[in-house]
Formats: sequence, structure tokens, C-alpha cells
Amino acid sequence: MQRVWVLALLAWGSLASIPSQAATPLVVEAALDRQIVAPLLAAFEQAHPGIELSYRDRSTLEVDRLVVAADPPPDVVISSAMPWQMNRINQGYAQRLDSELANEWPEWAKWRNEVFGFTFEPIVMAYRLDLARHMLPPQTHADLQRLLDTQSDTLQGRVTTYSPSESGIGYTLFQQDARYTDRFWDLVTALGANDTNLEPNTRKMLEGLSEERYWLGYNLLGSYAMVWAQEHPEVVVQVPQDYALVVMRTGFIHRDAPHPRAAQAFMNFLLSRDGQRVLAAQTPLFSVRSDIIGPYTAQRLRDQVGDRLYPIPLNASVLAFVDPQRRRAFMARWEREFERSHEGSH
Amino acid sequence: MTQVAGTLKAHLAVWLLVMVTGLGTLLLMEAYRSSQRAAERAYDSQLAAAALTVADAVQWEGRVPIVRIPLAALQILATSHQERVFYTVLDHDGRRISDNLDIVIPKADQAAAATAPIWRNTTQAGTRWRLHGREYDSAGWDIQDPVQIWVGHTTEGRRVLTHELFERAILRFVAMVLLAAILMLLAMRVALKPMRQLRHRLRMRQADDMRPLNIKVPEELREMVEALDTLFSRQRKSRENLLRFTADASHQLKTPLAGLQSTSELALQSRDPDVWYRALSDVHDGAKRTSRLAGQLLSLARLRHMEEADEFQPINLCALLRDSVLEWAQREMAVRHDLGLAELPREPMIVQGQAWALRELLGNLIDNALRYTPPGSEITLGLYANGDWLVLYIDDNGPGVAQEVRHRLLQPFERGGRQDTHGSGLGLAIVDNIVQRHAATLKIKERLPHGLRIEVHFQKAEEQV
Repeated sequence: MQRVWVLALLAWGSLASIPSQAATPLVVEAALDRQIVAPLLAAFEQAHPGIELSYRDRSTLEVDRLVVAADPPPDVVISSAMPWQMNRINQGYAQRLDSELANEWPEWAKWRNEVFGFTFEPIVMAYRLDLARHMLPPQTHADLQRLLDTQSDTLQGRVTTYSPSESGIGYTLFQQDARYTDRFWDLVTALGANDTNLEPNTRKMLEGLSEERYWLGYNLLGSYAMVWAQEHPEVVVQVPQDYALVVMRTGFIHRDAPHPRAAQAFMNFLLSRDGQRVLAAQTPLFSVRSDIIGPYTAQRLRDQVGDRLYPIPLNASVLAFVDPQRRRAFMARWEREFERSHEGSH
Repeated sequence: MTQVAGTLKAHLAVWLLVMVTGLGTLLLMEAYRSSQRAAERAYDSQLAAAALTVADAVQWEGRVPIVRIPLAALQILATSHQERVFYTVLDHDGRRISDNLDIVIPKADQAAAATAPIWRNTTQAGTRWRLHGREYDSAGWDIQDPVQIWVGHTTEGRRVLTHELFERAILRFVAMVLLAAILMLLAMRVALKPMRQLRHRLRMRQADDMRPLNIKVPEELREMVEALDTLFSRQRKSRENLLRFTADASHQLKTPLAGLQSTSELALQSRDPDVWYRALSDVHDGAKRTSRLAGQLLSLARLRHMEEADEFQPINLCALLRDSVLEWAQREMAVRHDLGLAELPREPMIVQGQAWALRELLGNLIDNALRYTPPGSEITLGLYANGDWLVLYIDDNGPGVAQEVRHRLLQPFERGGRQDTHGSGLGLAIVDNIVQRHAATLKIKERLPHGLRIEVHFQKAEEQV
């Protein structure tokens, strides 16, 4: 009995770095919709009543800027823009997490034990039911390009995708697409020919679909789209059948985190069974852990889609995506291909 | 008493330990350095490969070199150890065309890299980096300036690999030492086998077995076996001497005792008190001789078995000699001889010795001289110094001893071929024994025209401090 008391005291002492009863603050800068992740945050607050969580939801590029600019710096940084996250790690803005959970985390979902991918979100296409009345909806990238080429009359102005210049995640997806085949540029040309609307995030694309402005969306975050489709039956989500990219939300503890203990507690919770179970059951973010059962797990997704999931790797190679010259060259090509059909018509 | 000074195994173990610590320190230092070199080589070649991959991606667009940094280059740079990576491409004037971190490349290093690929260590914000720079000749249509490519990564992987290699080297070394120790133990068992056999043979030996050892031994043990054989033969000789001495002694005692028996028997057959008186005085003389003989035998046996326990003391030979001669001159035995003392040196003549033994020596010499010379003979004792030696001598002008028996004089029961005396034949044997105990030498010389001189050469004692 006495031992339990001692342990309880120790646990209390370790959490309460400020001597009074006041809770430890914890600042999380995240490019992850608060609405989506709310159950996870609630579970964390329940598990750690001594930590006062301040969760700030921003865009990927804003989060990246705050890593360097914020004063005081944030404790934990979460973003889906993996190249930007990796770039900050490479610049030395993260500190190691050497907990047992961190060490057991799968190798493909972490780098240097500093940054951890804790979700497994497929990239999908989405279309309105109206589209299915006019044509066979696309199931692969090739289908999409053929539809854009052949059904241009119907689809003109009704297609949407990420803006590579405004969205870090969108840019990353196109870079990864372009790595696999040069036919991607034909797709970009076709997108341009259909006056595709470029949006800064998935939410805008989904809203456009529901408002009937768009009929077809390409490269949407599956996590958001799947939740949206449940509430909006007119929207159908299609995981590409040839290959589906997968992005991971990555999180790291800032090197100069003002509250490192609270930050460690938060990261460990993200990686823990409890945290991942909430992810799998109450959010569409898909748990990375293979020992979790729920509707949203990487394992279940693999079972459904098969081997055609291509996660963007969490290694040094993605650093090339943020290289300024490479980015400039890629954007130049993107603009060129996107405008190609218009040049031809002039 | 045999003292056990550790085992051979312990000696060898200590020797091995010294070798291992001495040689081992050097070996391990070398092992660490070579582990480090191996790790550096392995990772440096990764840097070189990454630099080449980057070079491959340099292309001119008009007057500007463009680098589309290849993904593979970054993965090669990061290595399997997930290092942080750095790259930069500099144009001919040292301007950065492309880079990902603000690591400064000094002008001197740029100049060095212009001639040959170079590797550099640097520290940036507390983190150690390994950099590699090389120049790449890239020909554009407008400009043909070379570009410089610098790549680098953190050094955690090198450190880990060095430690891994070093640990393996330590393991190998420890295994080698253990193996050497085991082999050494085995070799010792084999090498010590003849030793064990020898021990077994000695243990199995009967107490009175004095034959030489008959055993096959290696060269190293030959001397020991020879020494043992010598010891055995000496013991055999000594034992034989002892047996002979006992037999001789019994024989010598038997003759006078038989004489006593026959005299007393003859006397008992008579009723004449005069006969009894004569017989009784004969018996008295005989008993006296026998008792003297027994005394001498005892003295000899005592000398032979005397342990070295008695302390040697400085003794003035002059005084001793004077006292002994004076004492003997007063005895009844000496009245018919001219027993005298030569002039003695004034200064004391000191030797290290045992007083009782030296007195015995003088007594025996004088007794011998009295016994084996006819009445009226001159017997003179003297003493002189001769270098480091003190020479004690006794002269007589008796008949002397024939040359051929002189060397046997020192043996017990030897009377120099004379049967006409009542001497026991033990006197000179006792003298010889005492002489040997004092590390002195005995010389028997002939005197002219007739007579004998016996000299005892003592070593002069060290000056008293």
C-alpha cells in the first residue's frame, strides 16, 4: 500500500514541473484538423489531467514557418507535409525520443527516433454521384486521364485538385506521382485542358463537391474524404486501384521545447496502444500499429486495397522535394504542362 | 625443508597476464585505430558516391548551372544509420547555387577541393560533420566553368561502426587469450608428464634402494636425474662406510674383550692371589684401553652426526695450543717423551672454530705422536702464519710412515701398518673429521732423516670489527 502511494507521488512529481498545483502547459502546432483529431485530444487530456493542452490548427506551410519563427517555440510539431518536417529534422530542430514505445515503433514510420509517422492516410479520388450517371467513374490514374481527355465537355471546370504552390502536401503528392511515371505530365496537361480548379486543402475540394461546383476531385486526403462521404451521401470516395499514395502525419518534439516532459508524454500517447486505438476507432486517420483492431487501421486498409499502397517514405530522399532549385524546376514544369493546351489553342 | 614457491601454472598464468596486458594494450590501441580507419573508409566512400550522384544532376541552363538534387544522393548520404545530411553546389566564384544547410566551407578548403577530392571534419552548432568536396567539370554551351560539389553528414554512424568493429576485435583478442591459456595448460600437462613419472618412481622406491634411476627423461630433466643419481651413489657410499665402520668397531672391541675373557678365565682356574692380582691388573689395563677405544668411537660417531648447530667462535690458537701442550706434558704417558712447544708468535692467532673440537684435535695429534714413537723421541708443536693461513704443526723424530700407507692413515682403524701399539687407529680419523668441519686442510709430510710432520692449515679469521 505504501509503495502505491510512493509511486503515485513520484508520478505526480514528474508531471508537475511547476511546484504549485498549476497544470503544465503544452503547445502543439499542428497541420491536422481539430475536428478530426478531437477524440484523440480528449483521450490525452483524460489520461494526463496534469497537462493543459493548447492545440493550434494551422496550414502545413504556416506550421513549418513557426518551427523557426515562434517564440517561445512550440513543444510538439505535427504536419502532413513530410518533406518540410524532414527538412526541419535535418536542420536539427528536433530532439530524440527514446522511450520504449518509440524504440518499438516500426522502422518505416520513423526517422532518427526524432520524427514519427503516427497515421496512415491513403490519397484518394472523390466524385459526385452525378458523374456516375454520365460515365464510368475512374478507378485508376489511367482512367482519370482518359476521362479528362474524352469527357472534356462534361468535366470542363468541374475537376479539382491540390494547388502545388499553395499546399505543401499537394506539392509533395505531385512530386511523388511524377517519380513513378512521366505519363503524370500528360495527366497535368489534361487537368489544365479541363480548367481544373486548384484548391489549397482537401476541405475546400470536398465542400466544392457537395456544393455541386465540382464533380471530380483528384489527390484528396482519404481521411477527410471518408468522414465527409459518411455525412454527404452524394460524395463517393475511390481509392485508386493501380496505386494509392499514403501520407503519414508526422510529429516531433521541438529541440527547444519549453515543456519537454509534457511533450514526451504527448508523443508517447500518440504512439501508445491507447492513442492508436482512439485513432483507429474514432478518427479516420488510420492507426499505424498492427496490433490495433478498428475500422481505420493500416492493416485493414492493406487488406482492402492490397499491395497497391505506396507510402511516401519517411527518409532522407524526400528532402529533395524541398530543395529550392528542384522545387522551382518542378513548379516551372507544372505551369508549363498545365498551360500547354491553352498555348496550343491560342 | 622444501619451500613451495607457487605452482608452475601460477607462474605461467602471471607471465601470460603480463604479456596480455602489455601486448594487449598495444594490440587493442592498434585495433581501435584500425576500426576507426575502417569505419571512416566505409562512410567516406558513401560520401564520394553521393557526390558523384549529385554531379550527375548538374546541368547548364543557359549561363546558370542547375542542380536537380537526386533523391538517391540524399539516401546515400543519410546511410542506413539515418545521418543528418548536407549538400551544396558552388559555382566557379564560390557562390552557392544550391544548398540545404548553412555549413560554411572555408575558402582554403574550396581551393584544396579544386585540385583533388578532399575530406574534412567540422563542427557546426555542437554537431560533428564529415564533409567531402570535389570539383566537377561541366561544360555548358555558354560557360565551361567547373562547379564544386560538397556533401556531408553527421558522424554518429562512424562512431557506432567503430565501436562495433572494436568490440569484435576485443572479442577476438579475448578468445585468443583464452585459447592460448587453454593450450598452455594442455602443453604443460604434456610437458610435465616426465616429471610426474619421476615423482611416481621416487615415491614407489624402497627405502634402501640406492640404485641409479633408470628412466627416460627429456633433456631438461637430465641434470636433475643425474643429480639424483649422484645423491643416491653418495648415500650408498656413506651407508657402506657406516656399515664398514660398525663392523670394524665391533671387531676392534671384540679383540680386547676376548683378551679380558681369556685372562679372567685363566685367573679363575688358579687359587693363587698373586695370579689373581696380576690378572686383575691386566684386566684393568685392558678395560682402560677398551674404554678409551669406546670413547674414541663415540667421539667419532658424535663428530659425524653432529649437526651444524654449534656456533663457531673466534678462538686464539696460541692460547689453546699452549694450554693443551702444558696439560699433556704433565700426563704420565708423556714422561718418557720430549714433548715441547716451538716459539709461538706474539700476536694472537685467531680462527673461527669450536673450542672443544680443536682441543680434541690437538689431543689426538699429541696422543698419536706419543703412541707411535719410541720413548725418548722428540715431539714438537708449533704455529705460524702463512699469508691468509695459520699452520699448526706437530713434528716427531720417530720412525715415520711408509709412503705407500700414508694416504690410508686417515681411515678409521688404520695404524700405519703397525701392530705394536695399543692405539685404536681412530685418532687421525677424528682429526681429519674435525679438520673438515673447520674447512681446514691436513697435510702429512715426511721428515728427514726420519720422522713425521702433520700440518693443519686453518683459514685466518676475519679481523674483528
